Amino acid sequence: MATLVLDSGAATAKIGYSEEQVRCVTPASPSGSGHRVQRSFHSPFGFSYSVIPNCQFRSKTARLKTFTANQIDEIKDPSGLYYILPFQKGYLVNWDVQRQVWDQLFGREMYKVDFSETTILITEPYFNFNSIQESMNEILFEEYQFQEVYRTNAGTLSAHKYFQENKSELCCLVVDSGYSFTHIVPYCKGKKMNEGICRINVGGKLLANHLKEIISYRQLHVMDETHVINQVKEDVCYVSQDFYKDMEIAQLKGEANTVMRDYILPDFSTIKKGFCKPREEMVFSGKYKTSEQILRLTNERFAVPEILFHPSDIGIQEMGIPEAIVHSVQNLPEEMHPHFYNNIILTGGNTLLPGFRDRVYADVRSLTPCECDVSVLLPENPVTHSWEGGKLLSESSDFMDMVVTRDDYEENGHSICEEKFDI
Amino acid sequence: MGEKKREHPGRSQDGQRRVLDQATRQRRLHRQLDALEKDNFQDDPHANLPQLKRLPQFDDNNESAKKKKKTRGDHFKQRFRKNFQALLEEQNLSVNEGPNYLTACAPPSSLPQRHFCTVCGFPSHYTCASCGARYCCVPCLSTHQETRCLKWTV
Repeated sequence: MATLVLDSGAATAKIGYSEEQVRCVTPASPSGSGHRVQRSFHSPFGFSYSVIPNCQFRSKTARLKTFTANQIDEIKDPSGLYYILPFQKGYLVNWDVQRQVWDQLFGREMYKVDFSETTILITEPYFNFNSIQESMNEILFEEYQFQEVYRTNAGTLSAHKYFQENKSELCCLVVDSGYSFTHIVPYCKGKKMNEGICRINVGGKLLANHLKEIISYRQLHVMDETHVINQVKEDVCYVSQDFYKDMEIAQLKGEANTVMRDYILPDFSTIKKGFCKPREEMVFSGKYKTSEQILRLTNERFAVPEILFHPSDIGIQEMGIPEAIVHSVQNLPEEMHPHFYNNIILTGGNTLLPGFRDRVYADVRSLTPCECDVSVLLPENPVTHSWEGGKLLSESSDFMDMVVTRDDYEENGHSICEEKFDI
Repeated sequence: MGEKKREHPGRSQDGQRRVLDQATRQRRLHRQLDALEKDNFQDDPHANLPQLKRLPQFDDNNESAKKKKKTRGDHFKQRFRKNFQALLEEQNLSVNEGPNYLTACAPPSSLPQRHFCTVCGFPSHYTCASCGARYCCVPCLSTHQETRCLKWTV
């Protein structure tokens, strides 16, 4: 029996078999299939997993073809890339697209899933709607015919990994800042505490769209270039440690402006990927003589990620991450507070922004009483942290008691799933 | 009168400055925030492609075509096709007890809102009297009036 762990995010699916599979069944490593897979990792333990776009694409140049998931690598010219996403506001709504992505992931080209011999561990958003949960059961059991299913939240898996690695800790607070939104979720002794869950409707998608909007207004029309601007965001944006000081620096002229960067946009013929011009080659007055398209970024670099810390900067009347952490902890029993502040874990793609951890630490520190210890952990790989947690969970001895088998489902339907899964 | 109107795009016929009311400003803000949720701003590159539908043949009878369509529709059942808003309404959370999607949303911040120039992004001290947008200096104000104040050109 193999276990497939799938952390199904709105932007990327984190997928791979747990260790068992590698030991006893034919290896299904996607890298062996002759296809280039985006960011495939090999850990020292010999298992492999990959982070794959959980969506479909259409390109201006390759008409008539819709590219699914890892087929993005086949697109030679991704300018004006058109996205078809199965998720809307973080919830799975477009099943047609999701199934095509899953067909690709489970199929011959990638994970070669033998459904009758496979258990799937899959993640869902917090407070997932009932009808989505039912559709999910139906599709996994009836369409794909998985033998066993375990559905859970990504944060639960992160917390599981954290408790496994820090056995003496009683509580932890998972901050999951992903593509659609940011969640703050408290866990006590492995149990999710619903009354403390707090959602900020700011995620990576909003940041990239906002960056796109301001660049288009101030410099160059890039509204159609989500793919390119997302890369700009990942390459140049950072979280400021002293916002108003950085604003002052960003206003300076010439060499003194240490925030300013010139970003060379890709043209997808000679420049495949955009990059920052090295500081020594930057021209501070006048124009570049070269023909490349260049974006000049100053306050955009830190004002965009700042939305995570102050959503009200663009008119979203919600708390920022540090304030929401405190708000979330305040909703919980007082004797637990110090434990939560001392065990904050950051997961999700936005936490990769340089300076994110330090800023969360500094802000939470200033908002909490001085007798509380504050500790903020950024795992080595915050994007796949919950996938790793899922792998750990699937290898634990009581995992088989947690799953719903196909026989159970056929006997009891959705109610057994509702009973056993904590969504 | 006509000349005057051309000089001041923000002024109405009687020379008064047009001022957007609070509701319109809110609507504008909502529209901007909704735009940040969009997956794509461009049109689907496949949208204008000529339909590749097979032309009906004389020996095709209507019935088989209908049947085919039906089985495919059956595959993707109606309830698998709902958008986010429909699902949220179906869930009927406002009457639900306990923590749910609606109650989990972060409340407004207790910190005062910060203001930034809508043109250049730096801290701003001034508000456009017509539409309520923020600006930091005279050049930014004129850019704002030419492009986004009362109309939306860029």
